[in-house]
Amino acid sequence: MSLRRFVRFASLVAVLMLVLTLPAPAQAPKYGGMLRIHPLAAPPSLSPHEESTIATVQPASACYSSLAYFDPAKKQESLETVIPELAEKWSWQDNYRNLVFLLRRNVKWHDGKPFTSKDVKYTFDMVRGAPDAEAKLRVNPRKLWYENVEAIEAPDPHTVVFRLKRPQPSLLLLLASGYSPVYPEHVPVAELKTKCIGTGPYKLKDNRPGEYIEFVKNPDYFIKGRPYLDGVKWVVIKDRSTQIAALQAGQLDVGGSGWNKANAETAKKGKAELLVVENDSNVNDNVLVNFKKPPLTDPRVRRAVNLALDRKAYLVGPRLGAATFGGAMLPKPAGVWGLPPAEVQQLPGMGDPVKQKAEAKKLLREAGFTASNPLKLTVSTRALAIYVDTASWMVDQLRQVGIDAVLEQIETGVWHPKMTRLEYQVALNLTGTAVDDPDAMYFENYHCGSQRNFSGYCSEEIDRLMAEQSQMLDRAKRLKLVNEIDRKLQADGARPILGWAKQYAVLWPYVKAFPQHENSIYNVTRFQDVWLDK
Amino acid sequence: MRGYIVKRLLIALVTLVGMSMVIFVLLRLAPGNIVDVLFESAGYVDQADKKQLERELGVDRPIAVQYARWVGELAQGDLGKSYRYDMPAWKIIKPRLPVTLELAVLALLFSILFGVPCGVVSAAQQNRPIDYALRVLSLAGLSMPSFWLGMVIILLFVRAVGWIPSVTYVSPFDDLRANLWQFIVPAMAVGYRSSALIMRITRSAMLEVLREDYIRTARAKGQGTRAVVWHHALKNAGLPVITLLGIEFAFLIGGLVVTETVFNLPGVARYLVDAIQFRDYPVVQNLTMFIAIVVVLANLAVDVVYAWVDPRIKYGQA
Repeated sequence: MSLRRFVRFASLVAVLMLVLTLPAPAQAPKYGGMLRIHPLAAPPSLSPHEESTIATVQPASACYSSLAYFDPAKKQESLETVIPELAEKWSWQDNYRNLVFLLRRNVKWHDGKPFTSKDVKYTFDMVRGAPDAEAKLRVNPRKLWYENVEAIEAPDPHTVVFRLKRPQPSLLLLLASGYSPVYPEHVPVAELKTKCIGTGPYKLKDNRPGEYIEFVKNPDYFIKGRPYLDGVKWVVIKDRSTQIAALQAGQLDVGGSGWNKANAETAKKGKAELLVVENDSNVNDNVLVNFKKPPLTDPRVRRAVNLALDRKAYLVGPRLGAATFGGAMLPKPAGVWGLPPAEVQQLPGMGDPVKQKAEAKKLLREAGFTASNPLKLTVSTRALAIYVDTASWMVDQLRQVGIDAVLEQIETGVWHPKMTRLEYQVALNLTGTAVDDPDAMYFENYHCGSQRNFSGYCSEEIDRLMAEQSQMLDRAKRLKLVNEIDRKLQADGARPILGWAKQYAVLWPYVKAFPQHENSIYNVTRFQDVWLDK
Repeated sequence: MRGYIVKRLLIALVTLVGMSMVIFVLLRLAPGNIVDVLFESAGYVDQADKKQLERELGVDRPIAVQYARWVGELAQGDLGKSYRYDMPAWKIIKPRLPVTLELAVLALLFSILFGVPCGVVSAAQQNRPIDYALRVLSLAGLSMPSFWLGMVIILLFVRAVGWIPSVTYVSPFDDLRANLWQFIVPAMAVGYRSSALIMRITRSAMLEVLREDYIRTARAKGQGTRAVVWHHALKNAGLPVITLLGIEFAFLIGGLVVTETVFNLPGVARYLVDAIQFRDYPVVQNLTMFIAIVVVLANLAVDVVYAWVDPRIKYGQA
């Protein structure tokens, strides 16, 4: 072979190899089709500002827009993944005391009226319960989020200024949550419980409470070329087995909300084509120990309960191997603010179960509880399978250290009222927080007097540190302080965390760009980028 | 007969008033009310707001006043407002009624069409292989809970043909065929249990009647077995079956919670359980009253049908 021929041949091979090794060109999204999916449960209403359940946020998100939102394509939510939505851009001024939003122009509500800064002011004055707010929410679960907002100004139709009492960089995250949509000023807020006038990618077509909610594409959506889908239909299916069967039979395109690993595997087993996507989630299984009820007022008893619960047994038992361990904040790498992994391994319940159970027995003896005079505890839990499985495991673990434990199932309707009134001894609870940020998690669940601080835990020092971390501008320093608070909470047994559950999305392969975030289940269902390859 | 029906309707009215009191009081004896549920699950409780809402919904008033208000509204055809959904209760209840009624009627129809002939054949062929087979079939129907059977049917359908009945309700006015496909499977799952009961009752009543003198006379006069069994005997063995049908229909109206859940049918029973959980008083009260009315009317209908089937029964005569 001559040199010339060799060079030609080598060049050809090189080009061929280059072509073969190049990544396949990204598939161009296709327009059309209806996405059929099930919510966690029947949404009590379509008004995210008045509810504290994912069941409402899931469907309503498709209809609304927030000032900013989390990038659906980025798995971990953080300040860096916040993308503009109704606000084109924003800036912090006056050392993080004023947050100025410049709004998009030519945005229309679904009824054709123009969107302006007045709508933003109206919404967040109402949510923060401002004395001069134009409207009032019948129930206002997230008023606490906006306690630091002193005033909201709308100097012109396209500018909004949030004036804060003290710096709070995380406010932007709270505003980017699925729980923070902007409502129309011209529609009475009570009407938004059953209908939806938003600026989002989909318009409400039909709302049948307890049956289904159907949205159709909004042709005037402010992001040109979006959404790809013709519509989204949220079908309420109460029974888990029916959800799985409907997915397998092709009546749903996506399933998995509220499913555990076994459910996802069952679905896949019946239809091998289905894709199972497993991710971390910001929902934890936690133990509520009533700080106000003797003998749980005794720190030795609380610690004994905490030590008795072998976390590794929890992982393989009720969670079927699908959970991660951590403190009060979602652990890394999925979470932004979690304790370092090495420290997590040192938390109560994570060590040698034999030694920990022996220590628990010793503590109980010191507190005056013996085999002839055992500690009697009622483990309360919500009468839902996902709660009861873990609570039953807890009863068994507590009995192993000589605690005379019994299970009490509380029906959903009175679960939260009972917890709020501290009418229990020990309880198994699930906690999900909309945003992976200490300002949401700590204040809501651990602050003295917070209505969702179900264990009655109260520490002035922790409250002070919470306020301190909230104002910190340096991320590294803030993380250090957030970890310090977490350590103290775990040492105090404020709300022992058993683990952080995994979440599942089980979908047909033709569903593309279906978003799933590792550190929140609340901020992903706008569906503006989802498309069907059919 | 007319006098009898009027008398029965008056008694029914008294029964319903009693029922309304029981429903009303029992609901309020359960711990927690809708305001607790709404506020405390939200995690933020402003006591002034809570009191305001209690006033708005009228749950702060004495029970007697609340009861009088409900009955007064009911008498005017006003079913009140669903506390949970913040919309007229009638708007929520109305679309659910045809779903449950259709399911109950189809299930009952299936149970009659399957149970009665099987019971007759079983009696006519007493102690023969077919009798044994049908008795096993009826025993299986009584032993298997309908929701379990429903779930097994769904799983079998998915596995075998990759299809299940639609999980969103299809109205018969929109697509009759799809509607029937959606309802036939759950109706059969529910109706199988009822048909097993009907089969057993029909069999025992038929066995009794087939030994009567007039049957022997009919046979002696040369009537064929078919005419004797299906015309003479079945008509006279029908009374206990009619009683059972009345009871079953009443049960089907309120007792389909699990079947409606498994087949994802948006019916009355499933919604009633949800409403109880959320202490949605207007919805629970009105739905329970609806079920009570159906039970009372079903019983009345049974008595009227008695007279029609058996000419010996004369109401309103001394």
